[in-house]
Amino acid sequence: MSAVCVLTPIVISQWPAIATAVASVAASMGFAVVASGTQDHTTHRAAGDNRVETQVPNSEVLEETMTRGEKIVIEKDGIRIEFGRDERGACSVCVSGESYSKSQLKKIGEEVAGRVVQQFAYHKLMTELKKRNYDIVQENVAEDDSIRVRVRLGG
Amino acid sequence: MDRPEFDITIGKDGKLRVQVKGAHGEKCLELADLIRDIVGQEESRQLTSEYYGPGGMVRIDTHAKVARKT
Repeated sequence: MSAVCVLTPIVISQWPAIATAVASVAASMGFAVVASGTQDHTTHRAAGDNRVETQVPNSEVLEETMTRGEKIVIEKDGIRIEFGRDERGACSVCVSGESYSKSQLKKIGEEVAGRVVQQFAYHKLMTELKKRNYDIVQENVAEDDSIRVRVRLGG
Repeated sequence: MDRPEFDITIGKDGKLRVQVKGAHGEKCLELADLIRDIVGQEESRQLTSEYYGPGGMVRIDTHAKVARKT
């Protein structure tokens, strides 16, 4: 190999693309998408303070591409995760679950947020490389849930 | 020269590790820049011996002393 690079993805995108990444993550992690759009989510909030808010790292949701209050909500095993856009434009992640501690919810939120970045980066990279005449030679998901892809410039 | 290719690993935290293969010198840098421009910010880049292979440009500085006849 001639070079090895380590990169941190920047997730700046329209809301539909981010929502698509969230839906992919939900499917792969066994979550169900229970709400999407501008439905009223307040009645579903967990009782008390058992909720943790975080962000998808290095993210920005383009405001003009989403309706005010638009969210996507996924659920599994009593855990509810709401994705939306916060005041600063970042993709917000709100995790709630009555049977879980705050530290557990924080860990789950960070893991899911990381997977959203993974999916987003994968799709963006594959789309752009295909446009530039690269072919996917090999692709698999490893045991540690990393995605491994080999792409080669087309002949 | 082999066709350029990338071995890409996207961790479950979203971070990417990209190995550029089949390219030397400036072409290798262009390919690494391509991935960076698509994905986001680069944390580190390490050039390997293949970078300096045939077709890569290496600058060599030489200092020669000319003996004077006396």
